Amino acid sequence: MRQKSWSFSQILNIFIVALLCLSIILPFLNILALSFNEGTDAQRGGIYFFPREFSVDNYLEVFKQSSVLNALGISVFRTVVGTAISVLLTAMAAYALNTRTLPGRKFITFFIFFTMLFSGGIIPYYLVLTELNLTNSIWVYIIPGLYSVWNILIMRTFFSQLPDSVFEAARIDGCSEFQIFFRIVLPMSKPVIATIGLFNAVGHWNDWFSGAFYVRDPNLKPLATLLQEMLTRQQALADALLRNSGSYEMLEKITVTGDSLKMATIIIVVAPIIIIYPFIQKHFTKGVNIGSVKE
Amino acid sequence: MEVTTGKNIGPEANLGKNSKKKKNRVKPMKFTIKNIWKHRAMYIMLLPCIVFFIVFSYLPMAGMVLAFKEFRFDTGMFGGPWVGLKYFERFFQDPQSWTFVKNTLIISGMKLILAMPFPIILALIFNEIKSNKLRSFFQSVSYLPHFLSWVVVVGIIQSILAPNTGLLNELISFMGGDGSTFYLMEEKYFHSIMFWSYVWKDIGWSSIIYFAAIAGIDPALYEAAAIDGASRLRQIWHITLTGIRPTILILFILSLGNILSAGFDQIYLLKTPGNAEVAEIIDTYVIRTGLQSGQFGYATAVGMMQGVVGLIVVLIVNRFASKKFNTSLW
Repeated sequence: MRQKSWSFSQILNIFIVALLCLSIILPFLNILALSFNEGTDAQRGGIYFFPREFSVDNYLEVFKQSSVLNALGISVFRTVVGTAISVLLTAMAAYALNTRTLPGRKFITFFIFFTMLFSGGIIPYYLVLTELNLTNSIWVYIIPGLYSVWNILIMRTFFSQLPDSVFEAARIDGCSEFQIFFRIVLPMSKPVIATIGLFNAVGHWNDWFSGAFYVRDPNLKPLATLLQEMLTRQQALADALLRNSGSYEMLEKITVTGDSLKMATIIIVVAPIIIIYPFIQKHFTKGVNIGSVKE
Repeated sequence: MEVTTGKNIGPEANLGKNSKKKKNRVKPMKFTIKNIWKHRAMYIMLLPCIVFFIVFSYLPMAGMVLAFKEFRFDTGMFGGPWVGLKYFERFFQDPQSWTFVKNTLIISGMKLILAMPFPIILALIFNEIKSNKLRSFFQSVSYLPHFLSWVVVVGIIQSILAPNTGLLNELISFMGGDGSTFYLMEEKYFHSIMFWSYVWKDIGWSSIIYFAAIAGIDPALYEAAAIDGASRLRQIWHITLTGIRPTILILFILSLGNILSAGFDQIYLLKTPGNAEVAEIIDTYVIRTGLQSGQFGYATAVGMMQGVVGLIVVLIVNRFASKKFNTSLW
């Protein structure tokens, strides 16, 4: 009897989580189908999970726009460069903070940690960026995001679990602290570097805020900001896209609409994340579990 | 805003099982020239970090004086003439302000309290699934939305909830209803759209921490309970939920610090002319008055009140927690 009730609850549990997962997968299939369907045809409705009038025009049209290609370049640049610099600097800071004998260690840790509890607010922050001439520059994507308290603390926790004896041995062999850091600590820390690097990269790729509020030059907008602009004033933008493409004289051949371009852009923004997600997913969860351990 | 990574649950939070590992404590050395010289490499590695936080965190904190000053472009952040409490008076006298505060509290209250049980329930369900392969597949899928930008999520919402052609309206008209509702333009639907999209996006990711806490419960407790004849549901109630109570409490206490920030990205993107009356929150108001219409002093004052209230709530709650539950942020 016990056995029976168990299998029923198993089925119920699996059914519930399966529903949750469907609620995640199905919307994507819908967007994917819409993005591969003729935009004018999609306006009639009735497209669920397969395209009705298959077409790649939406993608061709999106990629024809110099603004989209440019935004893609900005996004890739900030993701690659921003993540690389940020991970290296974060690791250095975390390593130094993990040195138990460091004079002033407690104060410096609190100095950094406090910024998590309190901030001056967005306006003074924005004015600081302006004073530094960072606004309207590509570096506004990279420099203000170099460190995050959370990442420093995750890395520090990881380093604190490395065996001290290795460092001691290296010190006795006459390695300088920098040599220890680059030759011993970094190679031993690949898992945490992968985790922090991925968090960082996803954050860069997804960030639309700095592009929307700190940058005016349309040539400096990243892909996420471009999508955000499409969402908020989609019709105007779609018209501009159509006009730029110079296809007004062939108006009868236009199959794309503002909405269908939006769908294609959404897919372009999420594609990199979804494609690499299955391979890197385990690194993400590791980060949460490292971070929740008290020193 | 800076790139936020990871999950905002507080760095030093003691979430149970691994805290017992204690390294032999080495005290920091005294501040002598010799010791500082000995650690020069460490200070060099820390230097950019310290400069960073001075420039991007502490300088803006100093910049809060702007809340009492008039901002002038020629004199910069610290130069303008003092205006006293003018901006605060303006905020408190403006009846609209209370709408924003009320909206913020409603939204953050829904997120902090109503949304709280969902990831816990999901973690319990994951824990009951016996097949490891199946479970980790479902878990992986459920984390996915956490890694998508709100821009993408709102884009999907706009498409699914679109009048006539959206999936939801198609379903309604298929069942004989009126499929022309423009959900995003109507006030009455705003809170459910906001709430369910929030739960949907983070339910899986938030369940990780509870799932880990459940895994840390001693299996012997369940065996003992089973021998005593406790049903599975009773075991969950008395052992599992009791076992993860500290985790639940800490996460809840930590999230209270966000009581006055209801999540800028999501709300800003979901806001339309139709639902602005309930969707304008303090965060969006600060951006609108400050960055979009250039009233820097006033917006600084509003943002400052928000930050100060958040800090006070965290401090009070942390003190309460360390007395009552022996768990503290630091």
